[in-house]
Amino acid sequence: MGAVILYSSIAAASAALGILPLISQRLFALRWVGWANALAAGLMLGAAYTLTVAGLDRAVLAGAAGALLGIGFIHVAHALSDTEDIELIDSAQSSTEHASKVFRRNALHAAPEGIAIGAAMAVNFTFGIFMALAMAVHNIPEGTALCEALRRRHQLLVGAAESVAANIPQVLLAVLTFAVVPTAPGLLPWALGFAAGTLVYLVMVDPLPEAYRQAGQTSIALVTSVAIGVVVLLNGLVVP
Amino acid sequence: MTLHPVLIVFFFGLFTALATGGGAVPFTFVRTVSARAVAHANGIASGLMLGASFGLLIEGSEHGIYQAVVGANLGVVFILLTQRYLAHRDFPFGSATGLWARRTLLMVLVMTIHSVAEGIAVGAAFAGERSLAVLITAAIAVHNIPEGLAISAVLRPRGASVAACAGWSIFSSLPQPLMAVPAFLFVEAFAPTLPYAMGFAAGAMVFMVFVELLPEAYDHSRKPIVGLLVGITLVGMMWFQRYL
Repeated sequence: MGAVILYSSIAAASAALGILPLISQRLFALRWVGWANALAAGLMLGAAYTLTVAGLDRAVLAGAAGALLGIGFIHVAHALSDTEDIELIDSAQSSTEHASKVFRRNALHAAPEGIAIGAAMAVNFTFGIFMALAMAVHNIPEGTALCEALRRRHQLLVGAAESVAANIPQVLLAVLTFAVVPTAPGLLPWALGFAAGTLVYLVMVDPLPEAYRQAGQTSIALVTSVAIGVVVLLNGLVVP
Repeated sequence: MTLHPVLIVFFFGLFTALATGGGAVPFTFVRTVSARAVAHANGIASGLMLGASFGLLIEGSEHGIYQAVVGANLGVVFILLTQRYLAHRDFPFGSATGLWARRTLLMVLVMTIHSVAEGIAVGAAFAGERSLAVLITAAIAVHNIPEGLAISAVLRPRGASVAACAGWSIFSSLPQPLMAVPAFLFVEAFAPTLPYAMGFAAGAMVFMVFVELLPEAYDHSRKPIVGLLVGITLVGMMWFQRYL
């Protein structure tokens, strides 16, 4: 349990690193945010694959149904929270209103990401650490988006703090999932499927389209493909 | 009268190729040719191809993890070079021209190359026990249907007829009977190439999805729609592969 709290907290805290490209454009150009997004997209897709396989192996129907439930949940939640079709990094929209939307969207995403960490930890400790690492990489560009939205108001540090705060649901749900799932084994394939479905959906609506806007599509495709390959191959070593 | 074993292998390979044409059938009902229809179809094809690649990569790495990695990298480089080569040339593909023709040609090429691995798998299987080989071939044939679906999804909204979609789908699987026979006859020589071929196929398909299909999907559709289409087809494809 201590490990779950530790690793999900590290993932949540890494969102503060999102401030870096805004402090020094020369050292951390926007292209790097794009590549971080592409790396996150690849890691998350690979992780989603591993989660789905783990879910389907345990219960075919529950795994698939959980995945569809996850996709439906995040799609509806976006629509209900009015954060459906926004560009995360949008310098033309540097307003409190936009910042609040980005904050809500980040916090909303943090919930299923926490379930993913918790469910992965319940399957296998190494897999759980890997999942937390993938989420940490993903949280950095999310933090950049929030800092950017608050930049005109000279509230970069507030942005970094809020980025971390938006990830509190990640820690809470990681702990909750990890605590609840072992008590009801029937829940595990549902949780694994749910996490996998939301991860695929999240990749397709955030890191990937953002990445294409931040760097060339060939370099993005390269980074994403290599990241997927690495995860799928590690999969054989990490998950028995 | 009994058929020569080589003919049996060839006919089983041909059968899996014909199954690919079945993927064109659902597109009888799709007539619209619009940028948005293309974008949505790209989303569907992306989910199917990602699912297929994951399966290939896992299976390939069971035969040899380093060979699969090498193959996957070669697959990525191959698509990268082909894309660069085609970018400087203009040629028509059916009724399509320019960028659409390039994407269509690239799609048929990717799926055709990826069939080489499946052809080797069929041939290698028949070198073993016959009943198991028939089972493996049947599984590959069933998996070919969504692959035909992916090809048709890219071709049909760009104006290709259903017959043309089915034709190109079957064409893309012709390496299966053609590769199955030599793989069956010279199994000792071909079996070691299997993880390379599977890795190559996976690398080529994944890279195709991220460098061509998804950027175009985002240009002409909304992100939530792309998310839904890719998510549902990817989960569906993986469920399909696990269940059958």
